[in-house]
Amino acid sequence: MRYLYELRESLRIALAAIKANKARGVLTTLGIIIGIVAVVTTMTAANGLQNSFKESISAVGSDVLYVTRMPWIITGNFFEYRNRENLTLKEAQKLAARLSEAKAVNPSSYTQRDIKYRANLMEAVTVVGTTDKYIRVSNALPEYGRFLIPQDVQYKRNVCVIGSEIQEKLFENTNPINKRMKIGRYYYRVVGVMEKQGSAGFFGGPNFDRQIIVPITAFIKTFGGANRSFSISVKAPSQEEMADFEYAVIGEMRKIRKLKPTEKDDFSINQMNTLMNAYNSVMGVIVMIGLVITSVSLFVGGIGVMNIMFVSVTERTREIGIRKAIGAKKRAILSQFLFESSVICLIGGVIGLLVAYGVTALINNLMMPASISPFIMAVALLVSILTGVVSGIIPAIKAARLNPIEALRYE
Amino acid sequence: MKALDIRNITKTYHMASEEVRALRGVTLELEQNEYIAIMGPSGSGKSTLMNVIGCLDTPSSGEYFLEGVDVSKMSDDQLAEIRNRKIGFVFQTFNLIPRSDVFHNVELPLIYGGLSGADRRKLAEAAIEKVGLSDRITHKPNELSGGQRQRVAIARALVNNPSIILADEPTGNLDTATGEEIMQVFNDLHAAGNTIILVTHETEIAQHAHRTIRLRDGMIESDEKNGVLHPTLS
Ligand SMILES: Nc1ncnc2c1ncn2[C@@H]1O[C@H](COP(=O)(O)OP(=O)(O)O)[C@@H](O)[C@H]1O
Ligand SMILES: [Mg+2]
Repeated sequence: MRYLYELRESLRIALAAIKANKARGVLTTLGIIIGIVAVVTTMTAANGLQNSFKESISAVGSDVLYVTRMPWIITGNFFEYRNRENLTLKEAQKLAARLSEAKAVNPSSYTQRDIKYRANLMEAVTVVGTTDKYIRVSNALPEYGRFLIPQDVQYKRNVCVIGSEIQEKLFENTNPINKRMKIGRYYYRVVGVMEKQGSAGFFGGPNFDRQIIVPITAFIKTFGGANRSFSISVKAPSQEEMADFEYAVIGEMRKIRKLKPTEKDDFSINQMNTLMNAYNSVMGVIVMIGLVITSVSLFVGGIGVMNIMFVSVTERTREIGIRKAIGAKKRAILSQFLFESSVICLIGGVIGLLVAYGVTALINNLMMPASISPFIMAVALLVSILTGVVSGIIPAIKAARLNPIEALRYE
Repeated sequence: MKALDIRNITKTYHMASEEVRALRGVTLELEQNEYIAIMGPSGSGKSTLMNVIGCLDTPSSGEYFLEGVDVSKMSDDQLAEIRNRKIGFVFQTFNLIPRSDVFHNVELPLIYGGLSGADRRKLAEAAIEKVGLSDRITHKPNELSGGQRQRVAIARALVNNPSIILADEPTGNLDTATGEEIMQVFNDLHAAGNTIILVTHETEIAQHAHRTIRLRDGMIESDEKNGVLHPTLS
């Protein structure tokens, strides 16, 4: 309790000292401000990216394996993959027949086409040729109208289900059901609109809101299928059996391909986890860069604050002598200067947060949903106070150790 | 109990090229409520002795008991606590905190002593009243005259009810009339029961004390009751 009065006095002196040297204080906090802006915006951006990516990934389902010719993330020798045979529709049918325990087996093929409705044009939209089972391997449902039905596939109907972004842009938010639109050179009738799934599309992630789903048979009919490789989605019986199920899928694929035990797989098995891991490592790099910028500017800022604190200690040498003569202990002097440096840095941190708030609003408008979380805010304030303590400690120790007689004699 | 018991104290400053022996064996006893003046030429060791007595400095050798407590080998923080509770210092140059008002300057020792706000207010206001500055309580030092500043310093020195009040040339920066006023304050404090040690080189100022000690070359040259001559036994 008695130390509390002493601490309050220390804080009082510190605030008075900062008030007396406003301009000097604000200038020295520049490095702190930059550091805090860097740490807050990188953390906020990383958070935002992760959220929107996870959101769109979650639509795909983590209990689904994707059998493809080439792996999604190519590591090692590209030429090894290039010579692989295409995955055919027939192989997909064979796999479906052999994997009776799978919840669903669904082939898809992808292409990019310009699409048109009246005068509106969207370029290079992803067109997915697939079956009615698509909806069972992805978690998305149609918002309006319906999804593909078995008859669409069976009779090679030119019908399509569009993503929410296509409804927004191509149809300008009007009702697109039963409207005829052009995919490449062919007319398709819209039968449904998928619900909005959120996008990580700006960052290499898939954008499911900007794709068109058509029956795989119509897809082959209009866009050709001879040289296409199909991707086969296989939904595992349960999340827990994923690992075992992956071995089963590999085993059946090897039988279909008639591979000898010595031969390597000539196909790839992908999961959303694979993508997530690759994504996380990219994210790690971004966060690393942010941290480096942060630490460099905090270091430079901290050095500046330390300099100012040495000046402050020198200016107050006589005052320190007076306080010691009337009974101030070392810790009282120490806390006085630690308060001063921490409050200076805290002010820098608050200014930094305000600037970061503006930057975040900008990111929000231009790129993606982003907001500064209370956690990031707390981290920023804590980091600035910590910088203050670290950069103030040496000057404060110097002040606390001053000999009272010499300090009193200081002019 | 004696207010102060100093036995054969020395203080040597080690300079780059030489040793300065500022005190060469000073022995001094002081009863409670004594009022003494220390005189001597410049450089004779008056301030050094005051700093040792005031626990701002530790002696190189010898023993020092303050109210029966050995303070000659205490740590910095222990000395700070002794200064806070048992010593009241009055300097020639006042040594007030410039940005703080009279009240805050006077309550400062109590803050470091850990007293509550209410207790501090009571004691500080009483001390300020004793030196006759109750109407200046919110003034800053630069709004006060030299004599008033020294009164604030005296109020600060006596606010914690110290065992000894030490004043190193308290009238040195004041004109004669103001100096006399300040001496009147010390006389009142002595009459109220305080123990006072005063450094001065003016005989008129020293006359206010009841005992005068003369220093020369770091040693006590004479120690006499004022008005009656006592040859020093050494
Ligand atoms: N910090 C110090 N370092 C070295 N010498 C000192 C120091 N303080 C005082 N002295 C020397 O000690 C002697 C006594 O000084 P002081 O006690 O200040 O004398 P007075 O107050 O009587 O004028 C002087 O010779 C002075 O130069
Ligand atoms: Mg002197």
